[in-house]
Formats: sequence, C-alpha cells, structure tokens
Amino acid sequence: MKRYVARRLLLTVPTLFLVSVMVFALMRFMPGDVATRMVEGHAYAPTLQALRHDLGLDRPVHVQYLDWIGGIVLRGDFGSSYWTRQPILDEFSRRFPVTLELALLTILVSVVLGVVIGIVSAARQDSASDYLGRVLAILALSVPYFGLAVLVVVLPSIYFKWTPVWTYTAFTVDPVENLKIMLVPALVFGVTRAGPVMRIMRSALLDVLRQDYIRTAWSKGLAERPIILRHALKNAMIPVISLIGLQMPLYIGGSVIIESIFRLPGVGLFFFEALTRLDYPVVQSVNLIIAAMVVGLNLLIDLSYAFLDPRIRY
Amino acid sequence: MRSWTRGFGTESEGASTAPSEASPKIAAAEPPLGARRLGARRRATRPWWVEVWVRMLAGKPLGAVGGAIVLVMLLAAVLADWITPYGFAQTSLRERFIVVSRAHWLGTDELGRDLLTRLVYGARISLYVGFGAIAIGSVLATAIGVVSGYLGGRFDLLVQRAVDAWMAFPPLLLLLSIMSLLGPSVWNITIVLGVAFGIQNSRVVRGVALLVKEHTFVESARALGAGHLRTALTHILPNVVPTIIVVATTGLSTVILTEASLSFLGLGVPPPYPTWGGMLSLAGLDHMYRAPWLAIWPAVALSLAVFGFNMLGDALRDLLDPRLKGG
Repeated sequence: MKRYVARRLLLTVPTLFLVSVMVFALMRFMPGDVATRMVEGHAYAPTLQALRHDLGLDRPVHVQYLDWIGGIVLRGDFGSSYWTRQPILDEFSRRFPVTLELALLTILVSVVLGVVIGIVSAARQDSASDYLGRVLAILALSVPYFGLAVLVVVLPSIYFKWTPVWTYTAFTVDPVENLKIMLVPALVFGVTRAGPVMRIMRSALLDVLRQDYIRTAWSKGLAERPIILRHALKNAMIPVISLIGLQMPLYIGGSVIIESIFRLPGVGLFFFEALTRLDYPVVQSVNLIIAAMVVGLNLLIDLSYAFLDPRIRY
Repeated sequence: MRSWTRGFGTESEGASTAPSEASPKIAAAEPPLGARRLGARRRATRPWWVEVWVRMLAGKPLGAVGGAIVLVMLLAAVLADWITPYGFAQTSLRERFIVVSRAHWLGTDELGRDLLTRLVYGARISLYVGFGAIAIGSVLATAIGVVSGYLGGRFDLLVQRAVDAWMAFPPLLLLLSIMSLLGPSVWNITIVLGVAFGIQNSRVVRGVALLVKEHTFVESARALGAGHLRTALTHILPNVVPTIIVVATTGLSTVILTEASLSFLGLGVPPPYPTWGGMLSLAGLDHMYRAPWLAIWPAVALSLAVFGFNMLGDALRDLLDPRLKGG
C-alpha cells in the first residue's frame, strides 16, 4: 500500500509538469496579445514597449516559463494578475470556498437523488417505479444544465414574482443567507448531474444483487432492507464513486457557467473574467491549480477503493 | 455467429477494475458493414440497413425515437434554406416579441427575427460543428490510438503521459482558454472540439489496438513479411473501426452540448449565426424576462437533440457491440 501510494505520488510529478508546459505554451503561442489590449483599453503604460517590459513579456519564452514555474515550486508564488496586480493565490483562495461549496452541494444533491432513485429502480426492476426512475434519468441527461438554469432564473420571476438571491453572503458571515443563495444553483446543477449517477447506481446494484453472497443473505432469512442497504450497497457504490471522481472536472468546468448565471463570486467567474481580458498568469495558474486538484482527487479516489472493497489490494 | 474479420472473433476484455482508466466496455466487435455480406447470404429479403432499423424498432424503441429526432434534425439542417420563410438574420422591427402567430409559429425575438427559422438554422450549425468535430476527432483518435498502441514501448509511454496531462484539465476550462485565444468562429470551435474529442478517445482506441496486436493473425502477418505500416493499416485498423463508430456516435451529443455551452459563454460560434447555446446566453437575459419563449424554445431544441443523439448512440452501441447486448 505504502509503495503504491509513493509510486502514484511520484507519477503525478511528470503529469503536472506536462500540464504546466501545455498550459503555458497554449497561452504564449496563440494569437491574442494582452499588452496591446491593455494599452488600447486603459493607459496602463505610456507605450506598448514599456508595458511589455513591465510585464516581463519581452523576455525569452523559456525564461518566462522558468520564472513562473520556479515561483510556484520554490516560493509558492503563483504570480499576479496583469490587470489588477493582485497576487493570484490570494484571490483564488478567497474565491475557492464559493466554488467548493457549490461543488459539494451539487455532488450532495446528485448523489442523494441518483443513489435513492437508483436503489429503488434496481430493487424493483421492471416495475412502474423503475421505469419512472429511468425516464427521469434520461430527462436529466438530456436537459443541459445552463438551459435549465436560465429557465429557473427567468420563468419564476415572470410567473411567481420570485427571483434567485443575487447578493452573495459568505457562509461564515451568515450560514442561512448563504444556503439560500447556493441552494438554487446547486439544485439546478445537481439535478442534471443525477442522471448518470442514477444509471450507474442502478446497473451496479443489479449486478451485485445477482451475486452469490446476496443469495446467501436471502437464504439465511435476512430482510430485503438490510440485504440491500448493508450488504449490496457498499459494493455497488464503487462505480458510483469512481463516476463522481471522473466527473469532478465537469463540476469544476460547469461552475464557470453556473457562477456566471447566478453571479456567484467563485473561481469559475474569476477564471472567466481573466479569460475575457487575456490575463495570462491568472488563466495559467488557475488551470494548473485545478488540474493539480483533479490529479490529487483521482489519487484519493483510487485509494478509497481499498477501504470500500477489501478485495482490492495495492 | 461466425467471425469474418480476418479470423478475429469478438474479444472480451472484461470490465476493468483499474480505476484510473475510464473503462468504457467496448470490445472490438463485428463491423456493422460486415452485416451486408452476411445478410446477403443469410436472408436475401432485407437489405442490411433495413434489418438494423427493424431490429432497433423491436428491441430499442427509445433508440428508434432518438433516431427519428436525429432524422428530423438532419432534414431541418439540410433543407433549412427551403423550409424557412425568413432569413436567420432577417429583422422586422414592427414584429418584435410576438408570442405566437400564424406567420411566426414560435414567435419572434427582440429584433423581430423568426424564432423557428433561427432554431432550424441552429440545428444546421449544431450538426455542422458536431459532425465536423467528430470526423476530425475520430481520425485523430484512431491515428494516436493505433500508433501508440501498436508501437508500444517508450513512445507509447510518452504519448500516454501527454494524454494524461490533457485529461487532467477540466475540459470546459481548457476549451474556454483555447477559444478565448483563437477567437470565436465556426472553424475554430469545430477544430478545437475535434482535437479535444480525438485526444480523449485515443485512449479507448489504444486499448483495443493493444488487444488486437496480441492476436496470432498479426504475428503471422509479420512473419509473412508485412511491414509495420502495412500491419497497422490492414490488420489493426479494420478491427478498431467498430470501436471508433461506437465512440463517435455516443460522443456526438457531448460535442453538441459542449458547443452549446461555449456559445452560451460567447466563445463558441459568433453572431450573427444563430446557435441554440448562443440564443440561450445571458446577453439576451433582459429580453427573456419580457419574452420567456426566447429561453424556452432553444432549451427545448437542445434537450431534444441531446436526447435524440444519446438514445440513438446507446441503441447503436448495443446493436453494434454484441457483448453488451441486453446489459
């Protein structure tokens, strides 16, 4: 186990290195020049040349890369925004709780809905409730979350005079107000993500319910509830957890859209605003931080299999 | 069932429990085109493509519904110029914000543009980008997957680490980054989505190529003096094709949805082209409060399209991949 963890940790180093090179190269070798735009829009510096020098854009590319990556590795310094000159890490850590809360609530909604409906569907296979559950899952898969979000913003305000809360309150300031704000976005996002969870849950549980140890449990006279909830569910959860792990990038990517619709001051909005201003350091560093998180999370999920399923040994 | 692909029967790989690899249960299966040959011998009554549809209607009613939706969408996209009475950018300031009328079945927007016309042209853009990206992506996935899987060794290791790195990014963030630099255009988004699709699915193709490579017919081809290029092209490639077809059909809905979300954020297909994602976007939010149908119809169209492609893709996968039948 220890050796496996060490090996996996070591393997993340080349992956993250490639990630950093890729995101850096993307930002530098593509058309679009931040300096031109900054000089055009606002008088950040007297001349283009001066601004380029100021931002360090006149240095050779590899020097710029080493400067960026060196700052991160050696000093934990992720650079500063070109436009606001604020350190990126500060802004990121200020906004990250919003995105994390959104992601966790979304996962909570989708897992609760998906797992419950999936269990009912599998336990009563081919019954009316199974078909209902499967139809709901297909619907959830088909409706795009941003379409649903726009409808949730627009329709209730027209017909019920109800609008989502727009002013964000931090959880630490007022938990109730905060949950009021986060609930609608998390519900919208979570409901659309519950579809795949439900489908995986159902097929995994059906699979497990056909196994010998479940037959043993039936024949020793256990009731249905403990068989499903205590014996079958634990094994059937493994694909569900790996699905959530695989979908984590989707949750984070989706937060860009959800946050811009519901005006939540999270990382997604930060990233999107930086994009529209070609703020390279922000885009680079946010991409890198999030990619690192995804890599780390996948590692954690792989390790969690060992606890969920004692048969898996590393 | 007899196998006809150079002695290569259906190969079962089993559900992989390796968690770090997404394990789509796809095995090199019978090629659908092969059914033509077999069908002719087995039953001379029905052509193979009728057979597929009959089987689908009987066994996969949802898939048939999906197929019908896709067909309607295809027809709308192809015939858009003839079936729409208005141009997609044709404004009429006297007819703004009509809910529904005989002249405008689904109403008009803030510039008096006919919504149904725009939705029909939107189908064209969606399919254009969708099929274009899938075509580019399939070729790329095949090239990377077959070469990487066939050559193996250090080259494979290197390529796979690069694919790992690519997959570490949340797809939307990466696509947004690239599109913001390239600038929104139909070509750019098609190519970018295609490349993303190709890299992501090269892993599946590589998996199949690795399996095929181990078969004795590959070994005998090599022993008979076939070069690497010939072996890869005539022995590995044909056995990978079914997998690519499955991956491509199931990937279409994702690509269309991704295009819509990029257009929604203004980094996909630029105006004046009407796209479903663009029509839903926040830029028109103020108008939507006045005219909710501006949000409802594009959302419905997009949902129907995704539903159609999902169901069709699922059904085709089950039909083309006998190992998954009824699973």
